[in-house]
Amino acid sequence: MRIPLVASLAWQDYRNDGWLSACSVLALVAVIAPLLVLFGLKFGLVSSLTERLENDPATREIIPLGGGRFSRTFVDQLGLRRDVAFAIPRTRQIAATAQVGALTLEMLPTAPGDPLLGGLPIPVGLDQIVLSHTAAEKLAARPGDWLQTQFVRQVAGRVEAQHTRLQVLAVLPLEAFARDGLFAGLSLLEAVEDYRDGRAVAALGWDGDAAGVSELRVYPAFRLYARSLSDVEGLRVYFAAQDLLVSTQALSIAQVQSLSRNLSIVFWIIAGLALAGAFAAIFAGALAAVARKRRELSVLRLLGFSTGALLLFVVMQALYSAGFAAMLSAGLYGLAEAGLNQLFVQVPGEYASHLLTRHYALTLLAVLGVSAVAAACGGWRVARIQASEGIRDV
Amino acid sequence: MLNLSAVHKSRGVGSQRYSLVIPALHLCAGEQLAIVGPSGCGKSTLLDLLALVLAPDQVGRFEFNQLDIGGLWRANQQSMLAGLRSRHLGYVLQTGGLLGFLDVRGNIALSRQLLGLKDDGSVARLAEQLQISDQLAKKPAALSVGQRQRVSCARALAHAPQLVLADEPTASLDPLNAERVMQALLAQAREHRAACVIATHDEPLARASGLQVRRISCQRDTDGGVTATLGEAC
Repeated sequence: MRIPLVASLAWQDYRNDGWLSACSVLALVAVIAPLLVLFGLKFGLVSSLTERLENDPATREIIPLGGGRFSRTFVDQLGLRRDVAFAIPRTRQIAATAQVGALTLEMLPTAPGDPLLGGLPIPVGLDQIVLSHTAAEKLAARPGDWLQTQFVRQVAGRVEAQHTRLQVLAVLPLEAFARDGLFAGLSLLEAVEDYRDGRAVAALGWDGDAAGVSELRVYPAFRLYARSLSDVEGLRVYFAAQDLLVSTQALSIAQVQSLSRNLSIVFWIIAGLALAGAFAAIFAGALAAVARKRRELSVLRLLGFSTGALLLFVVMQALYSAGFAAMLSAGLYGLAEAGLNQLFVQVPGEYASHLLTRHYALTLLAVLGVSAVAAACGGWRVARIQASEGIRDV
Repeated sequence: MLNLSAVHKSRGVGSQRYSLVIPALHLCAGEQLAIVGPSGCGKSTLLDLLALVLAPDQVGRFEFNQLDIGGLWRANQQSMLAGLRSRHLGYVLQTGGLLGFLDVRGNIALSRQLLGLKDDGSVARLAEQLQISDQLAKKPAALSVGQRQRVSCARALAHAPQLVLADEPTASLDPLNAERVMQALLAQAREHRAACVIATHDEPLARASGLQVRRISCQRDTDGGVTATLGEAC
């Protein structure tokens, strides 16, 4: 069988039957284009919602509620879990404040891998911080500035204070953290907590009681972020099993996932029915083509075409229709996508309707595959065509 | 090249039965033979048997180039038969048998393309010899019946087959065109040393063209059916 020759003959016959070929293409476009729009809407809406959740690390944050007593080892082991992206202990919130001028700042521990800091430099040691956007605005501070910071404590009814200079490494974007705060290494927060507890901090030269040698530090809370949205629910269940009450965004995530699942079900039901219809149409088209071209096919048989070559002739024509229909549908979808996005998108970078290159490739493959199988099933009647039966009338 | 004896083909039953009997048929390279007989006597059936598109019912011997054709039919070797058709046979059909979606050049070249043969100029040469050079870019629908017949002759000869079969090639032509087409076909077949079997009503034209003539004669049997038998050269 000479495949290029069969493909070329099929193409010439396809072109010769231009109107009929156009009808078969349009019949397929009537199925594919609405499916693309439907899937584009489903994918665009769900991916925009999911992306919105994924881009906000707060959605993946798991906040322990109430006071706990966690060791450093426990929190470090949490950080090693596959479903955890970042974990660090927190000191007591009442002791984790700093005074810069008249502004009281919330202190949060940070370390490499902190999703809130993203690509910003990580503070190390006892004199580096990253400032929140609102705090930086109020203090008119910029990266590189040094801030005179005051820490106050009450010991036996007497108010004491210590000062230290902290360098601003970077300023967080507003969407990452909207309160007045600073992010610093855990060692600075531990030093401030020790100072507030009346203990001495040798590293900063602050006076106080000496710490006990065997005293093991316990933390009341931790900052923890799940690796992905789908890990949040698993971690909530894990902490619940540990009798640890936590607050998560699992409900919001579940709502989006449920929306995605329900839209997928609706899409696949419609797609299944439409594809079955398309299969039937292509199958019937191939049957009709074999009946219509019986004489030409019997001449080809007379000239030496095998059954396989005749079947390929029919299948190739279905593939030509499928290819054109897929391209035309993609073009029509592109127009619909532009219109829908212009009408409904309010946040730049998000989509009401959107498809990826792999979706187009998959559509093309699916349309070609369904067309080839349907045409092969319908065109199988060519096996019954005998060279002697139609050649007298051609 | 072609050797048949005691080959039978039947259709229908009882009074509707029609049987064709070929007691003997031997054909050598370059030999040219006309099959004559009344309408419905089985000329086309005989050609279809020789063209390897119709399976015989009974075969004493059916050889083509020493190949047992009866055995190939019994073994349902369709692809082998198709291969033999494309390599060794050329068939001129009564109304041309041209493919409407190809132009004249494409129709003539098709028999060569099927064998993977490049165009060595034979398409243009045949078109010139058959006086259809100016029609090469046209679709068959734009040609007269006589021109279509010449295109069909060119397609049947383009791949230099060993055996050319022609089914009433001049039936739809006026006498002048009939003679032209017949002469052109026979001249080309002679040039290519191809054996030629032509089924025709026109016995005088066949004889005038120098063809050996064999007649198919029919007789009604006791069951009401018809048996047609290929006679000897007359």
